[in-house]
Amino acid sequence: MDPQLTEVSQQFERFKAAFARKDYNTCSDLLSQLKVLLTKFTSLPPLFENSPNAAKELTIARDIYEHAVVLSVKTEDQDAFERDFFQLKPYYVDARNRIPSSPQENLILGLNLLRLLVQNRIAEFHTELELLSSATLEDPCIKHAVELEQSFMEGAYNRVLSARQTAPDATYVYFMDLLAKTIRDEIAGCSEKAYDYVSISDARQMLLFSSDQELLTYVKEEHPDWEVKEGFVVFQKAKETAPCKEIPSLQLINQTLSYARELERIV
Amino acid sequence: MAAAMVSSAGGLLAMLNEPHPSLKLHALSYLNRLVDQFWPEISTSVPIIESLYEDEEFDQQQRQLAALLVSKVFYYLGELNDSLSYALGAGSLFDVSEDSDYIHTLLAKAIDEYAILRSKAVESSEDVEIDPRLEAIVERMLDKCITDGKYQQAMGIAIECRRLDKLEEAIIKSENVQGTLSYCINVSHSFVNHREYRHEVLRLLVNVHQKLASPDYLSICQCLMFLDEPQGVASILEKLLRSESKDDALLALQIAFDLVENEHQAFLMSVRDRLPAPKTRPVEAVQAVETSTAQNENTEGDLQMADETPSQTIVHETDPADAVYAERLTKVKGILSGDTSIQLTLQFLYSHNKSDLLILKTIKQSVEMRNSVCHSATIYANAIMHAGTTVDTFLRENLDWLSRATNWAKFSATAGLGVIHRGHLQQGRSLMAPYLPQGGAGGGGSPYSEGGALYALGLIHANHGEGIKQFLRDSLRSTSVEVIQHGACLGLGLAALGTADEDIYDDIKSVLYTDSAVAGEAAGISMGLLLVGTATDKASEMLAYAHETQHEKIIRGLALGIALTVYGREEGADTLIEQMTRDQDPIIRYGGMYALALAYSGTANNKAIRQLLHFAVSDVSDDVRRTAVLALGFVLYSDPEQTPRIVSLLSESYNPHVRYGAALAVGISCAGTGLSEAISLLEPLTSDVVDFVRQGALIAMAMVMVQISEASDSRVGAFRRQLEKIILDKHEDTMSKMGAILASGILDAGGRNVTIRLLSKTKHDKVTAVIGLAVFSQFWYWYPLIYFISLAFSPTAFIGLNYDLKVPKFEFMSHAKPSLFEYPKPTTVATANTAAKLPTAVLSTSAKAKARAKKEAEQKANAEKSGNEAGKAKAASDEKEAESMQVDSTATTVEKKVEPEATFEILVNPARVVPSQEKYIKLMEESRYVPVKLAPSGFVLLRDLRPHEPEVLSLTDAPTSTASPAGGAAAAGQAQQASTTSAMAVDDEPQPPQAFEYASP
Repeated sequence: MDPQLTEVSQQFERFKAAFARKDYNTCSDLLSQLKVLLTKFTSLPPLFENSPNAAKELTIARDIYEHAVVLSVKTEDQDAFERDFFQLKPYYVDARNRIPSSPQENLILGLNLLRLLVQNRIAEFHTELELLSSATLEDPCIKHAVELEQSFMEGAYNRVLSARQTAPDATYVYFMDLLAKTIRDEIAGCSEKAYDYVSISDARQMLLFSSDQELLTYVKEEHPDWEVKEGFVVFQKAKETAPCKEIPSLQLINQTLSYARELERIV
Repeated sequence: MAAAMVSSAGGLLAMLNEPHPSLKLHALSYLNRLVDQFWPEISTSVPIIESLYEDEEFDQQQRQLAALLVSKVFYYLGELNDSLSYALGAGSLFDVSEDSDYIHTLLAKAIDEYAILRSKAVESSEDVEIDPRLEAIVERMLDKCITDGKYQQAMGIAIECRRLDKLEEAIIKSENVQGTLSYCINVSHSFVNHREYRHEVLRLLVNVHQKLASPDYLSICQCLMFLDEPQGVASILEKLLRSESKDDALLALQIAFDLVENEHQAFLMSVRDRLPAPKTRPVEAVQAVETSTAQNENTEGDLQMADETPSQTIVHETDPADAVYAERLTKVKGILSGDTSIQLTLQFLYSHNKSDLLILKTIKQSVEMRNSVCHSATIYANAIMHAGTTVDTFLRENLDWLSRATNWAKFSATAGLGVIHRGHLQQGRSLMAPYLPQGGAGGGGSPYSEGGALYALGLIHANHGEGIKQFLRDSLRSTSVEVIQHGACLGLGLAALGTADEDIYDDIKSVLYTDSAVAGEAAGISMGLLLVGTATDKASEMLAYAHETQHEKIIRGLALGIALTVYGREEGADTLIEQMTRDQDPIIRYGGMYALALAYSGTANNKAIRQLLHFAVSDVSDDVRRTAVLALGFVLYSDPEQTPRIVSLLSESYNPHVRYGAALAVGISCAGTGLSEAISLLEPLTSDVVDFVRQGALIAMAMVMVQISEASDSRVGAFRRQLEKIILDKHEDTMSKMGAILASGILDAGGRNVTIRLLSKTKHDKVTAVIGLAVFSQFWYWYPLIYFISLAFSPTAFIGLNYDLKVPKFEFMSHAKPSLFEYPKPTTVATANTAAKLPTAVLSTSAKAKARAKKEAEQKANAEKSGNEAGKAKAASDEKEAESMQVDSTATTVEKKVEPEATFEILVNPARVVPSQEKYIKLMEESRYVPVKLAPSGFVLLRDLRPHEPEVLSLTDAPTSTASPAGGAAAAGQAQQASTTSAMAVDDEPQPPQAFEYASP
């Protein structure tokens, strides 16, 4: 066996051990070493050279990146998640014909969809969805994400929140929590537009807070332009500050007139 | 292969964000390979890569890699400026030798950028910071070109970037230094627009030239002439003249001829004056010049002295070597003064004159007697046809008819003699004597003929007025008649062309200040002629007076004069041009157009073309617009193929003035080329609805077709028939009739032996020719100025000369069908046809007419007048006549086809070699003479390989000035023959063989 490959697999074993121990700091260190080691394999993307160990190398590299993605969820690091996911993606897309597909694939894809939903990147969410086959769409992990998105779009926020319990994998919980936050922001944005003021208890109910205290902290941190007085949350200020778009009519008229003049001159 | 595998660069891009630097490097290097395919994806991550480039912690290699990647992405995005600035950051990773679109594009961009910066740095004298990295890239490119042997490319870049050091390096390192140098000279003339810089390049070339073991003196002298360094030319000439070898002396003579061809009178004169006179003490003289040759010459001189008779041993006697020098010097001086070439040209034109008097006769007969415009047009046509041939038979035969010219017509009739006798330096004065103002006596002659005679003297001595200047000045000062002043001013201007003589200027200025319209106009033009190309501050003086005076004529004369002063100054004239083109007075703006035309003449400068086109469509005055279009012809004459394309839209303008200008622009720039596109453009204009457009188109067409034979372009024949038709047509407008008459004159100009040429063979402007055409184009306002076209005529001849500047008999070959370049066949009166037709005409008329017809028939048998009558009959039935003519011509062609035409032709020195024929000229092997320089036409010095055999000379006879009435008598005696062979029967000159006799093998 290739010494490099051996080295990588040994490292990876250590990584897995640390991962099982939930020693995430050691994991990160080991991971970055692993990544550097991986750059030496020519069979990996983007080169895909046909070396004798290609299949093994590809598989182990994919494994490493899959773990990296999961690790990033555990460490709640969204940037790392995105980075690792993109590096992992060629193994799913371009290496499909070279190695058997991974059992983890749908789980990871579902996670990614969820991440996009959390980050409110709906366009990318649908782009990713388009790339999936219909069989994959039936997979519980993917299906879960798709349903969430639908509920989210419909405004059935309670359904989204209740879906936390039906999450197909433990890793999903992290994103589901984040999703609740996203939903709260959505609701806040809507009520800002819809109401002039709302009583504190209604607001608490709407924004799905369990106590008034939580609500007040939320208002303080996220919406400093809201006013809380006499048991009401007043949105007036936010409305006022919203920029009103005035049509620069005078300027437009002037421009049109000058065009007409120019035209006349040309003819 | 690898690129096809991945479907996205997303993974690598994500890797860029990894904290570990080696991962970033890994990503960068792979992205760099994939960028050609995935640049759209990468473009979104450019900021990240940029930050990598700027990251100080990164090592140099990685940062350069990042820069290269960004540069490539920007290149694909079309942001070449950003791309270039990052490419500079990539340092050595930017590999100039790589063969990819990216590298090519960026290199071109870098060189452009660098060239712009360099020229800015030079022109605006302020410090312009040039990125050293940019400079490094360009230098790397240059070095690569030089090591790869692409010298021309390297020279081009070096010139463009103003890197004269690199230019020199490229020239010296090239294998064929001579070839490279001549290429470089060409390039610098055609592509270096900035005058000052061109001078720098040429100076460098001269330096390189001189360092060579065997310098090419011909090209050095051409360069020096451009640099206006007479001293350099003089010292080269002297060196060659003092050399022992006869070949060197021949070379010197050749150089002199080549310089003369460029017609730079002032320069030639200063070269001549700088040639040191032979000294009586050779040792000193020679040592002063060159010590190395001094020894040789000295010893040789001693040897010769020993051989000579004892009487020559006296020290103060002229040393033989010096005597040889003195003898050669006189020859060179003769050439430089222009006398030699003018005389030889005159002899050539005289002996080879093939003008067809019958054409003139037809014109004369068909033109209405009382129509003075056409009458004088005929006189102009005659003068142009015989320009420089000294053959004035037509005038002498038709003195009665000529006497109808009165007033200004008389002026131009007299001046026409000057055109006919152009270059007849020795006898010019005596020829004109009967017409010249008689000093003091008050004279019986009309002021018109006197003025005309002075103008004629100027035309005879154009650009070589040494001998006549004083006389013209005296005449100018001693008269106060404005017509005479007019003639004298024009004459003086022509004779003293470009000499900037202060005294003459003052004389003319005093005429100008009399504020007489007629004299003032000529004075304005004359001042311009005097100051051609000097760009003195006198121009502002003239401009001030143009503002002051009330006379339009004077303003126009001055405007043209000012334009003439900036001839060839290019950027140097910009302020004056700006001033003139912004003037309120349209006439001054009109002058501004001429100034643009002349300052940028033959440069094809884009800026000038743009400006002219702008005025051509936007000025309010028709005159200015017409002139602006016309001026394009001058700017573009070095590149005639371009002109038809540029003016083709203008030639379809709704404004007849613009159409007229377009026609003349094509005529000027394509003169003598017979360019097919030019003819196609002019053809529809010759039948324009507006009479003066037809006039311009006909003249322009004649200028384009001069010396083009019918065999090479069938439209020439069609045009000749069209001209005839217009002239014979009674209902044709006077304007276009005049155009047709002038056109037939120009078409057969100078006895069919000259062409209109604005560039010399070495691609330099011919000052006189350009000036001549510029003033000629003024005939719109003043017909006598038509004669200025004669300045643009240059003989199409190969004249071989031996060491004694005599013309030896020498044969060479023209490797083409003779019919392609032969003279047009002389027109014939279809006597048989008219005779057959006459009876039918008689039948329908009275007996009286029958009697007259009989009488006519009798007359025809022995008298030349028959032509006259026949012409009348012809005029009556011109339609039928035209038909019969055509039948006739087809008949002759059928006849000709019977015998197969030879594929070559033997020409005998001196021979007519038309420009399009030049490429077929071959020298015979085992010929006795070998030319010093390979040139198919012009004056060529011949080296005699067998100097001891006796030489057979041709062209020994000088034309006699007095064509006695015997000429006419002889013609009468020969009756029919005289009409076919043209009136060449002058005294003892033998009849030249007819054109078609060459055809038989």
